[in-house]
Amino acid sequence: MSTNTYELSAAEKKFVGWHVFFAVAALSVGALFGPLQALEHSGLDLYPYLKPVFKSYYQGLTLHGVLNALVWTTFFITGFLTLAVSKGLERPMKYPKLNAVGFWTMVVGLVTAAIPLLLDEASVLYTFYPPMKANWAFYLGLTLVVVGSWIEGYGMYYTFAAWRKENPGVRSPLAALGSVITMVMWQIATLGVAVEILTMLLPWSLGLIEGTDPQLARTYFWFTGHPLVYFWLLPAYLSWYSFLPKQVGGKLFSDSLARFAFWLFLLLSVPLGFHHQYVDPGVPAGWKFLHAILTYSVFLPSMMTAFTVVATLEKAGRARGGKGLFGWLRTLPWNNPSVTAQLLGGILFFFGGIGGLANASYNVNLVLHNTAWVPGHFHLTVASAVTMSFMGITYWLVPYVTGKKLISDKAAHWANWLWFTGMVIFSNAMHVVGLLGAPRRTPLGLAPYIPEEWSGHLLRVGIGGTIMFFGIYTYIILLARTAWSKKAEAADVEIPLAQAEQDPQNTPEWLDKWVPWLVGTVVLLIVAYGPQLIDQISNISLNAPGGRVW
Amino acid sequence: MSENNQEFKPKGTMAILLIFVLTLILLWGSVFLILLSRGMTVGV
Repeated sequence: MSTNTYELSAAEKKFVGWHVFFAVAALSVGALFGPLQALEHSGLDLYPYLKPVFKSYYQGLTLHGVLNALVWTTFFITGFLTLAVSKGLERPMKYPKLNAVGFWTMVVGLVTAAIPLLLDEASVLYTFYPPMKANWAFYLGLTLVVVGSWIEGYGMYYTFAAWRKENPGVRSPLAALGSVITMVMWQIATLGVAVEILTMLLPWSLGLIEGTDPQLARTYFWFTGHPLVYFWLLPAYLSWYSFLPKQVGGKLFSDSLARFAFWLFLLLSVPLGFHHQYVDPGVPAGWKFLHAILTYSVFLPSMMTAFTVVATLEKAGRARGGKGLFGWLRTLPWNNPSVTAQLLGGILFFFGGIGGLANASYNVNLVLHNTAWVPGHFHLTVASAVTMSFMGITYWLVPYVTGKKLISDKAAHWANWLWFTGMVIFSNAMHVVGLLGAPRRTPLGLAPYIPEEWSGHLLRVGIGGTIMFFGIYTYIILLARTAWSKKAEAADVEIPLAQAEQDPQNTPEWLDKWVPWLVGTVVLLIVAYGPQLIDQISNISLNAPGGRVW
Repeated sequence: MSENNQEFKPKGTMAILLIFVLTLILLWGSVFLILLSRGMTVGV
């Protein structure tokens, strides 16, 4: 097996660093609103004190969702995948200017969307369902962020194709293959929201058409909305497969299983959006059933990932002296904050997976769909497995791109454990209070109908959210001080790219072929969405005038 | 799989995955039973 010694150039490091900068900057604003939502639920409403700047709970909730779930993730992911493609393929981007155009398009989009958000002209939550109507700049800004990420994806495709041309017959390096599959999945998935905005929301907000079709808009949105979860998760999995094994002193247990999982995620991530629309009257039950089955099919690559990653950890832990059925867990390098963050994220995801499967069952979903259970669940995915993995990655990535040692490992551990502890309290309380019927997207502190049995759980929501706030701000300050402090020690950090137990060249060839998987993906999409899209588009009713409800 | 892996039996991994499946059944089942215990919604 060849040893990858490729190092990114100073310009490439700077480019990746800019992604992380914008990602963390967005997180630093979005995270401010987390405790405000949580404390509001527990009866301490601080929004009135912020009135001159932030007008309402819903403005805060929208900023929290958009900046954390869309901006923090998308900027971090495009930067991290750029690094993974270059390192994996041992070459720079084929057209770095193309990637730069993509990135700055995203920045322009972020600024364009941020202005109406901050002016309270787009408090439509991060799902921006019509007939709630935002300022046109919000829709345009989101479109530019998505288009920018597409352009960055094209840069990765050209780079991958150039590598393939230079290396016929060689198995694609997993880090690069996983990155490109993630971008392909993202580009297919975002067609939904692109069509929604360009054909409906943008012309509607500009006054070019009079109304929208909320049912069709929701179908377009969830075409993108669920695979968006996999756009968040796959880079975390990429880290667990391609970087974490080296960090724990081991090797990836199975290169073949890892590749197979990525291909299955490409195939199965998109055609299942109707499981978010079980309560939509405009989608026939048969199509909801089909999407429910497809949703459960994603359990297969998810469990394959769990097996491969945990087996990798077990083997490494045993090599470090771990004995017994679980003794190897103790011997993993918990003193490395990058490893700890990812392990803690994985532990939280254990419960996120369980909640997700319960959500996906039709009859349970009918009862839980509009309750606090759902944000409780997705905080265990995007705010746990994903965010904690990204935190763990930045503990080596920021020193790598800045050439400075992380200023305090202790602070990183504090950030990890505070976030983890807060999330355990917060998410458990949200699940329980949701099960008791508490609605989501609601300022519960103002609601006159709160029964006594919710009170203790809502208090835990406030406590958990506050602890998480201290955790994430410890993290943000740590990164800022590392990047800008003149006292930070110089560091010679290498990218912890792992090898696999097997020579990747022995991986079956069908796991390195694009055409069958792409054809399968398109065919499955046509089967799962085609007839319903034709039906909904041919019966389109642009009769919802829309308005401002905040 | 390499010779090295053939000797390695991920018993801990299988145990964790088994615990995951059992927890999944337990929590999912309990949610289902809680909702069933509240009875059906009767239309008026």
